[in-house]
Amino acid sequence: MSRSQSLLIFFARRVPAVITFWGIFCFAACPQCLGDEKVNFGREVRPILAKHCFTCHGPDPEARQADLRLDTQAGATADLGGYQAIKPGDIDDSEVFTRITSDDPDTRMPPADAHVPLNQHEIDILSAWIAAGGNYETHWSFVPPKPITVPDVNASGWCRTAIDRFTIKRMEQAGLSPSEPAAKANLIRRLYLDLAGITPTPEEVDRFINDEDPLAYRNLVDRLLASPDYAERFARSWLDLARYSDTNGYEKDRPRTVWPFRDWVIAAIAADMPFDQFSIEQLAGDMLPAATTDQRIATGFHRNTMLNEEGGIDPLEYRFYAMVDRVATTGTVWLGLTTGCAQCHTHKYDPITHTDYYSLLALMNNADEPELTADPPEVREQRREIEKQIRRLENQLATTVLNSKDPQHELIRADYAIWYQQQIETASDWRVLRPEEMKSTMPRLSLTKSGSILASGDVTKRDVYTLRMPPTAEPLTALRLEALPHPSLPAGGPGMAFYEGRRGDFFLSEFNVRVGIQDVALARPSASYGKISVGSGSADAANVLDGSGSTGWSTSDRQGTANRLVVNFAQPFQSNQPWTIELLFERHFAAALGHFRIAVTSQPGGAVAAVSAAALESRLYDVRAGKGELDRASQNQLRRQYVQTSELLKEHRKPIDKLRRSLPEPVRTLVFRERSKDDLRTTHRHHRGEYLQPTEAVPPAVPAMFEPLDPNKPKDRLALAQWLVSDKNPLVGRVAANRAWREFFGTGIVRTAGDFGTQSELPSHPQLIDYLAAELTRGGWSMKRLHRKIVLSATYRQAVGAAAANDPGNRLISSFPHRRLDAERIRDSLLSATGLMTRKIGGPSVYPPQPASVSQMAYGSPKWNASSGADRYRKSLYTFSRRTAPFAAYISFDGPTGEVCVARRDRSTTPLQALTLLNDAMYMEIAQGLAASAVRDVGPNGTAEQIAARIFRRLLVRAPDPEELRAIVDFYQRHSKGKQAWTLVARALINTDEAITTP
Amino acid sequence: MQLKQQTRRQLFETCGIGVGKLALASMLLGEFGKNAGAAPISAGGLHHPAKASRVIYLFMAGAPSQLELFDYKPKLIELEGQPIPPEVIAGQRYAFIQPDAAVLAPRFKFAKHGQSGAELSEMLPHLAEVADDLAFIKSVHTDQFNHSPAQIFVNTGSPIPGRPSMGSWLSYGIGSQADDLPGFVVLKSGGNLSGGASMWGAGFLPGQHQGVPFRASGDPILHIANPAGIDQATQRDTLDLVAKLNRRRLEKLKVDDIRTRIESYEMAYRMQSRAPELMDFSGESQSTLNMYGVKANDGGSFAKNCLLARRLAERGVRFIQLYHSGWDHHSNVEGGVRGQCKQTDQACAALVKDLRQRGMLDDTLVVWGGEFGRTPMVEASGALGRKLGRDHHPQAFTMWMAGGGVRSGQTIGKTDELGFHPSEDPVHVHDIQATILHQLGIDHERLTFTHAGRPFRLTDVFGHVIENLV
Repeated sequence: MSRSQSLLIFFARRVPAVITFWGIFCFAACPQCLGDEKVNFGREVRPILAKHCFTCHGPDPEARQADLRLDTQAGATADLGGYQAIKPGDIDDSEVFTRITSDDPDTRMPPADAHVPLNQHEIDILSAWIAAGGNYETHWSFVPPKPITVPDVNASGWCRTAIDRFTIKRMEQAGLSPSEPAAKANLIRRLYLDLAGITPTPEEVDRFINDEDPLAYRNLVDRLLASPDYAERFARSWLDLARYSDTNGYEKDRPRTVWPFRDWVIAAIAADMPFDQFSIEQLAGDMLPAATTDQRIATGFHRNTMLNEEGGIDPLEYRFYAMVDRVATTGTVWLGLTTGCAQCHTHKYDPITHTDYYSLLALMNNADEPELTADPPEVREQRREIEKQIRRLENQLATTVLNSKDPQHELIRADYAIWYQQQIETASDWRVLRPEEMKSTMPRLSLTKSGSILASGDVTKRDVYTLRMPPTAEPLTALRLEALPHPSLPAGGPGMAFYEGRRGDFFLSEFNVRVGIQDVALARPSASYGKISVGSGSADAANVLDGSGSTGWSTSDRQGTANRLVVNFAQPFQSNQPWTIELLFERHFAAALGHFRIAVTSQPGGAVAAVSAAALESRLYDVRAGKGELDRASQNQLRRQYVQTSELLKEHRKPIDKLRRSLPEPVRTLVFRERSKDDLRTTHRHHRGEYLQPTEAVPPAVPAMFEPLDPNKPKDRLALAQWLVSDKNPLVGRVAANRAWREFFGTGIVRTAGDFGTQSELPSHPQLIDYLAAELTRGGWSMKRLHRKIVLSATYRQAVGAAAANDPGNRLISSFPHRRLDAERIRDSLLSATGLMTRKIGGPSVYPPQPASVSQMAYGSPKWNASSGADRYRKSLYTFSRRTAPFAAYISFDGPTGEVCVARRDRSTTPLQALTLLNDAMYMEIAQGLAASAVRDVGPNGTAEQIAARIFRRLLVRAPDPEELRAIVDFYQRHSKGKQAWTLVARALINTDEAITTP
Repeated sequence: MQLKQQTRRQLFETCGIGVGKLALASMLLGEFGKNAGAAPISAGGLHHPAKASRVIYLFMAGAPSQLELFDYKPKLIELEGQPIPPEVIAGQRYAFIQPDAAVLAPRFKFAKHGQSGAELSEMLPHLAEVADDLAFIKSVHTDQFNHSPAQIFVNTGSPIPGRPSMGSWLSYGIGSQADDLPGFVVLKSGGNLSGGASMWGAGFLPGQHQGVPFRASGDPILHIANPAGIDQATQRDTLDLVAKLNRRRLEKLKVDDIRTRIESYEMAYRMQSRAPELMDFSGESQSTLNMYGVKANDGGSFAKNCLLARRLAERGVRFIQLYHSGWDHHSNVEGGVRGQCKQTDQACAALVKDLRQRGMLDDTLVVWGGEFGRTPMVEASGALGRKLGRDHHPQAFTMWMAGGGVRSGQTIGKTDELGFHPSEDPVHVHDIQATILHQLGIDHERLTFTHAGRPFRLTDVFGHVIENLV
């Protein structure tokens, strides 16, 4: 059927459409009819094409049908064999028009199955656009912002700042006018909530209201911007994006330590760290020249991904998921783009290809994920002090029992003498043997100066290390494997286990020696210590020779210390060719050794594993071999070792044990550490985004639609971080400015915060967002400066009101939007209104009260021991966040779980929220506190009216009007016989709409 | 109410009736998406006539052994002690075992039951009595082989936490029928639950669609009881004061949100009033209690949750999700399955019988299943102290459905003689999800929500309705 035939049918079947046709015909025939109503491609045409056409005719070549793409001008106007999808200026000869208006289900586009047909309005727009030339324009947010001139407006008298000229302009265009300014009491409450997340005290309110200085408002703003509350309040928003949590997520959801990152965010915001630097340090602080501890802590941003500690996972699969999350989060936060779609296939709407996605991932794919000791100096000092005391007490105890002639210690002295002799007799002359070559199934092995072997990088559930050893000079009788600690390993090592098992564990399943393919017989294994984590099996040294992968040797509970395994050769072993040692690590979790050393001895009769560390053992051997006496330091060491381990001294040791228990746990926070240049991961594209389907390798790069990275610099995470905040990224300023706007008005200028792609809603104020973006970058990326500009505007100072009838979403902000406060600010504003709030910044998270049944839903029913004292009333930012059982009072109010990056919280209204504020013991306690404070404020002679008004003002800041006051006092009178009448009043007021919404 | 109804009508007139609009409507109305318009729409089905109006999902967390319960494989007796042929196991990753693990024979006897001749283990004597009411699917398979992601996958269609759960999709799509209870309720019994709260989370859907967990200890619904010393009269008086102040504010500001808040407090009060009656089993006959096996002072057993599920269903709750954990039998699968069946078999069968007796089975879809199956091979481990267990097996496992318009008395799908792979009619987890939605009148491909620049759905880009089941 030809196109003209189908058009005829179209006319025949759809008579009413003729009218529309004539309308279009008019456009086509006399372009002047369009007048000023030129169709805007970005605003009107592209959304229609994206919604209805791009899935099959868009950027994704694999999904593309009929070899036609409608997302580019070239594609749309290509010759399709005598006709074109779009013939500029000619709807009649444009196949697109024919198809979208066809009545024939076989030719009609979009196809009838599962696709919504275009409505008449959409058809009209496309037709008018084709008629006007069918020109494509790049999506607005992908074009670098141009300098914006502040518009001239009629109501310039209303404007306080440039921002107001943009907003009033849009209001004027829509026939709207701004609302009157908010009352002073409401304004100060708004400022406190927005800039500091708390409620002002009645005294602060009075001071402001009575301050006649024209600069009073500005001074208040500046005071709040400088307060530590400001940093805490905006840190919470950033933590939503960072998907911060105090637990790992998934099944076991164990606690993790990453609050030093949270504190870094608070400190950076308090210092108004420029947003570009703020970004670079979080994405790649470890790669900055001479990176400081703080800059490394900042890289915790992308360590907030979840960790599955379930036994039996494939750890590399979950690393892949974490990387996917990092790409998605980076996209949302700095590009305002939903890159996530391109994980599985080329983006259907935005120009991001499948390869672009993995190239972006490749830029970030070369970090190891260690912990960083982030003890504050005072903690380090405290630890040193306790350790010194322990040493002193041990020496003291040794002196008391071993040096004295006191008969009551005689038994101990005799025991020590035997033990001492044993240490000498079992000492061997070990010499360290360096492998000639090291192979591993996954971790990267490197030889250190001391001849030890350090593993790094990824680790799997079944790793094998194969060490090629040099030919022997003399017959060997035994081998020693030292499992050594190392600061780069989880919990200090010696193992690489980082999930499921104890951190820093290893599990040596088998220890084999071979010459060629011939096994060398080994015998009489021994170990200085053995314990396994997870499971009930033994950790005997003999397990490494039993041929079973499921048994083995481990030194659990001794993280950060060295231990030794010794195996003897069944026959003295000599080899004039290289021979191999093979270590097998096989458990249901990844548990390879992270740091170890091999030594051998030729001493007749072989050897056993010594209790003493290698260096001391070597001195002991010298004594055994008759090479002099034991030096004083070694003697002391040996005596301390005895004091630490002897059964006979168990009682004596108790004070020392107690002291040891008081040692502060080291604060180890999660960070990135870039791998060395010779140890980079290869990143692949993954078919359908699946971990198990890697395809070709892809180079690191930013998406091809953007200006590329500097070709003269390494293409790595640091380059990406710098690029993201450079003028090569047209989105970053807009995205950051939009987030700032959202913080104050509840909705972004682009409503779909976090998504500025072609599917996003167009900005309500296109000029304003570019103006703000330019202000932000021109202002040295100062977020405080931007926040200040916003709150100084007249737009911000309007009274709360309803949306205008012709602007139901109040997108033009002709009144200040009414909206509910977020979960944390509800609690914080109430806490501060009572005067109960604790003002302490940072540190480990705390546990405000909540019902025990909340955390009982989580795996292992972890206890929620509610904090007592000051910690109970810390700001909500510091509440311990458990991903699988989020704090109930927050999740009910749409608080985040920390599972994904949240650019835009929901603001629901549910009965569970009502139940929480009415009945939660935590809020009951706040109501009691509020009532008590008000009664105390008013004093013993206060009237019911005064107390009621005081509760009202403490909470809602403004004074109640007479009718409100009467209702409240009446309520009080009805309940005044009970013990808690004022608490009931406070509780009722906490439950009003006004208490939890924008003032 | 006038303002709101106008908004709704306006929405439907300008946009037509579609999912996005419905969701928008329920957002405007708040309150668990409950709204006057939802009920008639759901009765007719959102996309096609609905056969079921509610779901009771009995989630057996930990993964029950299909080989000990439903999928009898005599070949395993013959091969016991020998490794599975390498070509069968090729490339499969396991959680704990090595690929050369030996075959373990089924631990129980099986027999055929009912007119349909369904073959069931001796561990399921009660279920055997209702065999003809059930449809078994023996060829279910999944993508995930670890508990947490696999459980989240069944509940949300994605293994990564953070997507909307099935119940929240339903709440969003077709709203609730209850005006004094949440539309999506979660009950838990047994041991640890791996998937956690994201299994009933609303993900990126509006927050009111999240599942409401009923607690085994303390208040069944968090904060449903008044604080100590506050009686219901005081509560009412408090709410009246709150309403009075809120109404004044509404008159002044004319913001519709305030009206929604006023209504949310009224619904909270109704929930408070309703909850004691809901949780009070004294109206249940002794024979009903006996049928489920609910004992006096029951502290939150599976049996009690099954009975509570029926009571919730009667009161219009749309999606009732039961989780019973304790099926993860890495060691002693025989003892483990025996113990779990003792806790669950009777109550599962009782629920089906009870619903049928009350004429509710026709429009209540009951679903039973875990997150994956268990290996035909034995699990044993020196370090873990395990023997005669079975490891995780994503390739094939069994689920059953009853009521809600599914064709009962049949078995769909088969596995090979080792019980390793489906050999006939494989059914993916996404197909199960698509089928559940289908029974509720929803086309799983059309129930979408646009988030982060693209439409999302429960079944991702997969899933087919199991045609011979519906």
